Amino acid sequence: MFNLLAQEAASNVDAGKAIALALGIGLGSLGAGIGIGNIFGSMIQAVARQPELRGELQGIQWLGFALTEAVVFYGLIGGLLAFVLV
Amino acid sequence: MKRALISVMSLALLAPAFAFGAEGAESEEEFNPEHDFEIGEWIPIHLGPLDLSINKAVAYLLLGTACTIGLGLLLMRARIGAKNEVGRRQAVGEMVYDIAQTQVAEQGLPHKAIGRWFPYVATLMLFIWVINIISFIPLPLSNEKFTVPGTDLELPTLALYAATSSISVTLALAFMTFVFTHFEGIRYNGPVKYFKSWIPDVPKVMYPLIVPLEILGQFMRLVSLSVRLYANMLAGHMLILTFIGLIFVLGNLFIAPFVIGAATLFYLFEVVIVVSIQAFIFAALSAIYIGSAIEPEH
Repeated sequence: MFNLLAQEAASNVDAGKAIALALGIGLGSLGAGIGIGNIFGSMIQAVARQPELRGELQGIQWLGFALTEAVVFYGLIGGLLAFVLV
Repeated sequence: MKRALISVMSLALLAPAFAFGAEGAESEEEFNPEHDFEIGEWIPIHLGPLDLSINKAVAYLLLGTACTIGLGLLLMRARIGAKNEVGRRQAVGEMVYDIAQTQVAEQGLPHKAIGRWFPYVATLMLFIWVINIISFIPLPLSNEKFTVPGTDLELPTLALYAATSSISVTLALAFMTFVFTHFEGIRYNGPVKYFKSWIPDVPKVMYPLIVPLEILGQFMRLVSLSVRLYANMLAGHMLILTFIGLIFVLGNLFIAPFVIGAATLFYLFEVVIVVSIQAFIFAALSAIYIGSAIEPEH
């Protein structure tokens, strides 16, 4: 009986960890999605206003894209660490 | 010519699916994507407490180094082939050089330091690009072995693995930038002036709060630089692997067209965009960090 209860508790903890990991990554990508949308939206506006600046802006655009996108992966790595270690 | 290129491309797109598929079919045990990221130990070398063994990541790094040198020589130096072909290769090489100079070095480094640090950032960009791109080509470098039917020959299975999806590799690269940053900062400004430039322009009352944060920020650069590249490559490979693995987890062959399509889409996204962007970002941020140490704003 106790054995069964312990098993149940262990599987519940696993399920909880899985839900937490998925939720964490999902919320993290929500924020990054908004950020990336902002970057490309501003880039389109800027190029529409001053097309001759496109070349200069492109470097900054990709820099901003990579910096924002990396945030998801910080969440992912944190989630995986918590999943494996805790 | 064009038709041949297209057929080779579509064959190459099928290859990763087969590479993963073969691996999944080989092992009867539970599907586990982490399995693919174990580096193993091929030629053990132990010097006291130091572990200098040749493992999968080291093999990929050696291969990447050879490919980088070969690529540079082929593009800029080799005089093989017809004259217009040599010229075309030269043009590609000069385009890469131009990106490294105008987009990376001149954005971050001050004018007086470009001569000294341009080779470093350009090498970083090319090297990371090459090890990222060879990580998406199935190579017979893996820990699992299969026997050729009919013979006793044992060969490693085809596998995808990125040396940059191991944190040790990216941390070593980031640590080089970290050391060079402070070395150059001290050399150009002197230790006192350089460390004073870390402290921003705030009232003296705020110092106990701000100074530890600034020092922590310098170390956070190390973390963010290495984790960005590591996590991008790890997540990219794991995503493709998980999609292919869905066939084996669910044990249903009818979802194969869908998941292989999705995996191919992610594969293309990684190869076309992520690989180049991550190489560019790593080099550009290194240039910005070194440049901001040489010429602090305050």
